[in-house]
Amino acid sequence: MTVIDEDLAGRVLKSALAKGGDFADLFVERRRVYNLRLEEGKVEENTSGWEAGAGVRVIRGEAVAYAYTNDLSEAALEETARAAASAARAGTSAPVDLEKPLCRLPVLDRHPVDVDIEDFPREEKIALLHRADQAAREAGREVIQVVVVLGDARQEITVANSLGEVVSDNRVRVRLVVQAVAARDGEIQTGHESPGILGGYELFQEFPPERAGREAALQALTMLEARPAPTGPMTVVIANGTGGVLFHEACGHGLEADAVYKRASVFAGKLGERVASDLVYAYDDATLTKRWGSFCYDDEGVEASRTPLIEEGILRNFINDRKRAMRDGVAPTGNGRRQSYRFIPIPRMTNTYIQAGTASREDIISDTRLGLYARKLGGGEVNPVTGDFIFAVTEGYMIRGGRLAEPVKGATLIGNGPRVLLDIDAVADDLDFDTGMCGKDGQAVPVCTGQPTLRVRELVVGGIAEVS
Amino acid sequence: MEERRGLLDLAEEWVERGRSLTGPDVDLEIYVQESRGLTVKVYGRQVEGLRYSRSRGVGVRALKEDRLGYSYCTGFHPRDVERAVREAAENARFSAPDEHNLLPGPTDYAQEDLGIYHPETEDMPSEDKVDLALRLEGLTIAKDPRIRRVETAVYADAVSEVALANTLGVSGSYRSSDCHCYVFPIAEEGGESQTGFSFDLGVRPSELDLERVAEEAAERALCLLGSRSMPSKRMTLVLDSFVASEFLGMLAAALSAEAVLKGRSFLAGKLGEEVASPQVTVIDDGLLVGGSATAPFDDEGVPCRRKEVIDRGVLLSYLHNMYTASRSGTVSTGNASRSSFRERPRVGASNLFLQPGKGTREDLIRSVGEGVLVLQVVGAHAGANPVTGEISLGALGLRIRNGEVEQPLREITLAGKALDFLRNTVAVGEDLRFLPFEGSLGAPTVVVEGVMVSGRG
Repeated sequence: MTVIDEDLAGRVLKSALAKGGDFADLFVERRRVYNLRLEEGKVEENTSGWEAGAGVRVIRGEAVAYAYTNDLSEAALEETARAAASAARAGTSAPVDLEKPLCRLPVLDRHPVDVDIEDFPREEKIALLHRADQAAREAGREVIQVVVVLGDARQEITVANSLGEVVSDNRVRVRLVVQAVAARDGEIQTGHESPGILGGYELFQEFPPERAGREAALQALTMLEARPAPTGPMTVVIANGTGGVLFHEACGHGLEADAVYKRASVFAGKLGERVASDLVYAYDDATLTKRWGSFCYDDEGVEASRTPLIEEGILRNFINDRKRAMRDGVAPTGNGRRQSYRFIPIPRMTNTYIQAGTASREDIISDTRLGLYARKLGGGEVNPVTGDFIFAVTEGYMIRGGRLAEPVKGATLIGNGPRVLLDIDAVADDLDFDTGMCGKDGQAVPVCTGQPTLRVRELVVGGIAEVS
Repeated sequence: MEERRGLLDLAEEWVERGRSLTGPDVDLEIYVQESRGLTVKVYGRQVEGLRYSRSRGVGVRALKEDRLGYSYCTGFHPRDVERAVREAAENARFSAPDEHNLLPGPTDYAQEDLGIYHPETEDMPSEDKVDLALRLEGLTIAKDPRIRRVETAVYADAVSEVALANTLGVSGSYRSSDCHCYVFPIAEEGGESQTGFSFDLGVRPSELDLERVAEEAAERALCLLGSRSMPSKRMTLVLDSFVASEFLGMLAAALSAEAVLKGRSFLAGKLGEEVASPQVTVIDDGLLVGGSATAPFDDEGVPCRRKEVIDRGVLLSYLHNMYTASRSGTVSTGNASRSSFRERPRVGASNLFLQPGKGTREDLIRSVGEGVLVLQVVGAHAGANPVTGEISLGALGLRIRNGEVEQPLREITLAGKALDFLRNTVAVGEDLRFLPFEGSLGAPTVVVEGVMVSGRG
């Protein structure tokens, strides 16, 4: 596959740097998407789309100029390059050798697709939605609504840059999202499940749609039994899998080098220092085979890597893009990502997780006298400057006398990222991952969050009831 | 004007040509969108990012025997549009039939000037727009020595044209310009940092009031310095207009007839009922002059209009497109909405706002006596659930005592039910503001009684 030829790319880069600059690149993308949505037991949305576009970027010092177009003709690319160049103001710039020929890096095939999206018939895709829907409805009579969304996409990118490299990466992704709604006596609860893969329809051999449907429904049904969550500070055990979203939001974003540079991170200036309890080992790893957040090359053509973030509680690395690597004088970590050709690449997480420890989940719970067991977390928000965060607990239970007790609803976790890391006092051996779309600066990219079951000594739980 | 006619010509031509590809038993809708924009991001008194965008695309909706298919492509190349037409028709074959899948027929659209386009947005040189963003940052930092820096200052604009045509004879186009600016200053003192925010929006850059944005943003950061949590307590809240607008986003989602029909709205089954206090009147006005969601027709070609959705507490109407209206036995309210040519139209608010009452924010704070002024909420996406109506949000604000704001607050949460918030709304101020994000939502300062505020200490 080649989206653009080297000679044309070379000419475009030359135009981009015509008025100076330290670095320029051209990003060309073709994407085919197919989306199905089932609601009320019917396929109500059946959409396919084709995107083609290119963006030209010029970096000079801290400034980035970017221009994009849907038109891949040479004339349009030249015009786009001139728009990006016009932003470069007079001044010095690093010498860039545009005379040497562009060199194509090997296309890597580390995430083989077993059942390709074009080889899997439309009828069978639709059947997957019905299977998930039926399983959810069979989980209980109180399931009143099920929404199933199936999306597949093939994205082919080529990046050519003024370092003389041309890199291509092909990504096929499939994801199923199930939302179940259950109701009783006017009360409504929801449950979610969302298996996804960097790969093809083999996803459903490992994770049948019935399982996604049933688990989403059981979550909603369980929460119908829930009592209002208590309010106040308490010990919180966060379950494996979706719990990783808390580390992602409350700490991960603070480890992105652009936030660090802007001091919009509580971790700025803390490399080599203790930032977490010594039980904590955390990584960002885009090389994990066929994980939703993986790739072979990032959106700047840097090879994917595994970056230690925290080891034995000590802050090891930040994750960066090319600009921050160049400006900060460090090696690129392969975290330059973008939603599409319409956006500039910025430092982003890929698959981010806390590594498994040695405790067992059962021991952690039996060792907790009174607390909250957060089995599923919903979305959350974080103030990057202070590290303060809030998360919704979408499936939660009380822990009483070392045992899981009644489910509780309406709970939120309120705390501070760095303080939580220091307050982790137990880490289990059951690492699991969940898929998500991470938003930053208006761009959404596929990520995995992961963690084993772990315990935080104290968090504020925002609920509506008194603790009893 | 030449160019505008051009886009509509393309839409009409493809409706014709599309029909010849798919046969007469397929109804087609062609939505053509073209936009140009510039975003300037400033940091540390330098341009951090400039983004020029040029985007065009075509969305095709096909209806065959009550079955709906959709497809889109970028660019206007006839080969790509033809593929999209064929694919939309093919997708329709595999969808479930639904008699309520309907395209609108032709109607006359508003002829008056809606105030949604000004050539200045296109004509102003990029350097002047860059200067706007730099000036905004400079003005903000100059407000107070404790404002050491600005996390980001942004100027952004877009000029777009939309043309829509279908096989039933709908045909229309319009052009609009939007610009906005915003700034996030960081106030620092004694090792503590707090982020502020403010913005302005309009149809032309010279309308933006940078001085006011800088002043408000700085004040919103500074007033939070020295914050701490507070013990849990049931309190009266004064929701600042930015915060009230965010809450309105939750209401907008619940007002969608699509959400109602599909059991995903806490307002389902409540038509004609008192869902809020008499202080609450909510209006959706697709023809609001100068509004950022204003247009002569909605995203499937139904004329936009103004309607009261909640009148003095009584829920009068949901927001409808053709599909939801047919299913509910009513007519479309002109609220078909799509974020771009990539999506088929669904339901969305246009300019949705809480009708202003009397009194400034200060008046309302004085009248409340004891309570919390809420300046920021965090977790609105996760913690304000339009399906269940449950609200559980982190918040920052100021404690109100004796009618004055005092101790800044952080690490507190607000929890309750949306209907209780609506029913316990005891006052609405006069200071209506529209937010530039997530559509066009506007609210004044709002006073809500008896909300559970949780914290520590």
